[in-house]
Amino acid sequence: MIAAGTGSAPMVVTALMLVVIATLLIGARGVAIRSTSDFLVASRRLSPTVNAAAVSGEYLSAASFLGVAGLVVKDGIGALWYPVGFTAGYVLMLALVAAPMRRTGALTVPDFAQARLGSPGLRRLCAVAVIAIAVLYLVPQFKAAGLLLNLVGGTPYWVGVVVAGAAVSITLALGGMRAATYVQAFQFALKMVLFTVPAIWLLVHVGAETRSSALTPVEFTTFAQETPVEFRLDTRLTITEPTTVAVDGQPPQVLAPGDYTARTGSTWRFAAGSDVPDVAGAVAPGGESWTRPLLDPSGAGFPLLATLSVLVATVLGTMGLPHIVVRFHTSADGWGARRTAAITVAMLSAFYLFPAVYGLLGAALLPELFLTGGTDTVVVALPSRVDTGWAGQLVTAMLTAGAFAAFLATSLGLLLALSGAVSHDLMSTAAPVRRLRFTTLAAALVVVALALPAAHLDISVLVTSAFAVAASTFCPLLVLGLWWSGLTARGAAAGMVVGLLASAGVIVVGLLASPPPGLVSVLLGQPALWSVPLAFATMVLVSLRGTAPAWAPAAMLRLHLDERRARNRSS
Amino acid sequence: MTRQRRVVVTSPQTRVALARRRLGHTALPPHLAPGDLERARRIHREQLRWALVAVALLCAVIVGIPLLLAAFPGLDDVRVFGVPLSWLAVGVLPYPLLIALSRWQLRRAERIERAP
Repeated sequence: MIAAGTGSAPMVVTALMLVVIATLLIGARGVAIRSTSDFLVASRRLSPTVNAAAVSGEYLSAASFLGVAGLVVKDGIGALWYPVGFTAGYVLMLALVAAPMRRTGALTVPDFAQARLGSPGLRRLCAVAVIAIAVLYLVPQFKAAGLLLNLVGGTPYWVGVVVAGAAVSITLALGGMRAATYVQAFQFALKMVLFTVPAIWLLVHVGAETRSSALTPVEFTTFAQETPVEFRLDTRLTITEPTTVAVDGQPPQVLAPGDYTARTGSTWRFAAGSDVPDVAGAVAPGGESWTRPLLDPSGAGFPLLATLSVLVATVLGTMGLPHIVVRFHTSADGWGARRTAAITVAMLSAFYLFPAVYGLLGAALLPELFLTGGTDTVVVALPSRVDTGWAGQLVTAMLTAGAFAAFLATSLGLLLALSGAVSHDLMSTAAPVRRLRFTTLAAALVVVALALPAAHLDISVLVTSAFAVAASTFCPLLVLGLWWSGLTARGAAAGMVVGLLASAGVIVVGLLASPPPGLVSVLLGQPALWSVPLAFATMVLVSLRGTAPAWAPAAMLRLHLDERRARNRSS
Repeated sequence: MTRQRRVVVTSPQTRVALARRRLGHTALPPHLAPGDLERARRIHREQLRWALVAVALLCAVIVGIPLLLAAFPGLDDVRVFGVPLSWLAVGVLPYPLLIALSRWQLRRAERIERAP
């Protein structure tokens, strides 16, 4: 594959610096807000539109910016169901969660558990789930950052991950994202521009022939021209025809049919007209199953089941994401929170029309990426493939800056949610600022350590695992807690434990055991389809065996009263 | 510029919980005035009913489209402006539907809340 090239490095570095400086400058405006009460009062003045931009800004992570297009190249058109699920989650949030959740006054789900059910034990259990979700969501963000720096700067993957960890830690040490709502709203506008403008440029620039070949894909079976393929991971290739290959600049040799291993970092230059080798667990772009609009990862053979499982996880999981729940608290009241959710649906819809552009053009122009385990790089690799001049370099710089902004915004929000859960909910006393900051740095270290061996995992797939855990634990807790007064603390705890084991536990088992493609691998890899109903059933059945306290109906019902009317009456 | 002391900002619920833990007593159980209670019951029932309708419509969109695409593979060969219809059904069609559904649900929920 073609690296973005060292020629664009100065421009990329400049773009990255601009993103970071703009973020810090807008954050500095927040210095005017000085005390806790200022902070709380300021939040009341923000319109639902600004809030929705902030929600979208924090939500659009590296998985949306890079991962979805990468999965389109790897798995096909069906991967476009991921962004549908990412967006539809907010419709559910709007219908079931936003307004009553805002009225609990709870900033996090552990807060909510204690406020609604009055159980400190449940609060700690929720904190454990927050940690599981945040770690599963953070690891792919750091993977994306490592990959980006690897692609642009040519540094090894691990250096990229460590540099990304350092960048996050420094931003946190400088005071995190002050005036976070404005910063996140700015981040949304930034990502929107840095994603859509390059997409339109690419569409115009590739020409009519490439546009039509992107829409009528042919299975990638032979190299049309001499193609260098740079392997990002050790990859086992099966060659079926004698193939002429030049490895790492050595003179070309003819490889006999058989199995070969391409080492990490090596470049194989395939001769024009030679056959594309097979890679275990990957399908070549453009084939029969690739063009079907259903998800069938690595040809497991259960497209409908896999598609629905991803949709269940993403749609039901959105409401339980720790960095998003906090964002809804910035709305003045339940009315504002509901409007925020509705506007967020429209904003995300606009953004998610574009990953398909990168995915389809990537499959047409850079199909060899599927061999390398580096499909997540397709967004950033495309401009230099289309234009080797300054325009291509500029667009590469824009996309790199946007992807890094996506990584930064989501990671900071998640790290703060994660360290908040550790220091507020798991440890028992009020946390001083110093300890909160120490916890955040420790969490960043742990995530960097976990991201190092995660180079071969797909960003969007791992993020969807985080959604699956949120859907199996917090979705039943929130939905039942907000709408059913019969929920007991014991029932909630039992359902949470079952949901946590059935989602996080099963995903870890699936990663370690790596079962062969088939029904089992689909059910282990994306367990939401069965783990969410299981968690709901456990919560309801265990609650029915006990009795909720006498104050439970009042605690639940008051969440559905409009606070404006209540204020008017009392004044 | 004078340097301000940095403080931890916690939610009201967290502060209540922490104070409760330190002082070792429990807060008053939540209660509603009798008039509010009746009204809250009615609003809760209405909101729940329409929220479930919205969830059902959402299911119709995001479960219905994959089912249709699985049942009618022929949609892959129908092209609109050169793009396969089945691709548009994943990449474009869901979004206007989701926006329309959320607008509808928002209106509905606000009207229920405003009712006397």
